[in-house]
Amino acid sequence: MGMPGRTGDHKWSQRHLSHYIEGDLRPRARRRLDRHAHGCADCGRGIRAMRALVHAVHGLDGLTGSRAPATIFDRARLAGAGGAPSSPNA
Amino acid sequence: MTPPGGAATPAPESPRPPGPTGVPDPAGAADPAGAADPAGAADPAGAADPAGAGDPAGAAQTEASLLARAQAGDVTAFERLSGAYADRLYMLLVRLLGDPAEAEDVAQEVMLRAWRGIARFRGQSSYFTWLYRIAVNEANRALEKRARQPAGVSIGARELDLPAAPEEEPSRQAENSELRRALGRALAGLPPPLRTAIVLRDVEGLSTQEAAEIAGVGQAAFKSRLHQARLRVRAAIGDEALAGSGG
Repeated sequence: MGMPGRTGDHKWSQRHLSHYIEGDLRPRARRRLDRHAHGCADCGRGIRAMRALVHAVHGLDGLTGSRAPATIFDRARLAGAGGAPSSPNA
Repeated sequence: MTPPGGAATPAPESPRPPGPTGVPDPAGAADPAGAADPAGAADPAGAADPAGAGDPAGAAQTEASLLARAQAGDVTAFERLSGAYADRLYMLLVRLLGDPAEAEDVAQEVMLRAWRGIARFRGQSSYFTWLYRIAVNEANRALEKRARQPAGVSIGARELDLPAAPEEEPSRQAENSELRRALGRALAGLPPPLRTAIVLRDVEGLSTQEAAEIAGVGQAAFKSRLHQARLRVRAAIGDEALAGSGG
């Protein structure tokens, strides 16, 4: 990666917003994005939006606590009654 | 004829081809049918609780014991082993498919494929990861089948129905209902690999390493998919709606 100009920094930062909020960037790369986002409203907004998105996706899923249907093992039971796993007739 | 363990069964634990060679012979096993409960009526979510948080060492031992019995042909042991993950697996399928009825059908198929392939499971990943990988493969297969349906039969990408969290206050539920619908539409509109990435990492909260393994790609590729998925969902929902989500 060569020395980026301001435009290069912006494109690079936009490509790494997700990695940034994941904490995946190396310290030097993180500082680079920090420096750029400090003066770039678009990237600052991007970081906030990515964080909000992850929070929203995780927090809004009300499926937690749902139970699997009682039928989930029906086919396996049927196959199991006919022989061992991986047997030719399974 | 589909070979035992089928094409959708992940093969990372299967260095040898599927088939009867080397498969434990249930007829020669000490208790192949699970004599204690041959009808498989034991609570699959089970007393064994292989994933139990209370005693991790004991749970691991129990899981190993159930796995050995299942690989020897004991379907009851298989149910107890897999039953510990059944609820999570079903929820994953609802999230990936957006349709509880289809998720139920695919969940049955996942368990069937897991049962057929369990003799080849080598423990190179956790059992949970292996099972989840089968589920992702089967969900993708179902989505491909859906996409191939002729026009007029297919209803296209179904909006993922993300119900309100039970603990949400009514006012909060109302506030979030629009965002929830928008998220459901955005997730349903993603190509399956991107949807899988965001569901495994952001909805399920799995680590990148585990999610990548389940998705069947390297971590770098997985992160790239996740990034693409987040960008698309963000674009579909809009920063303004996200800003009001309390994140």
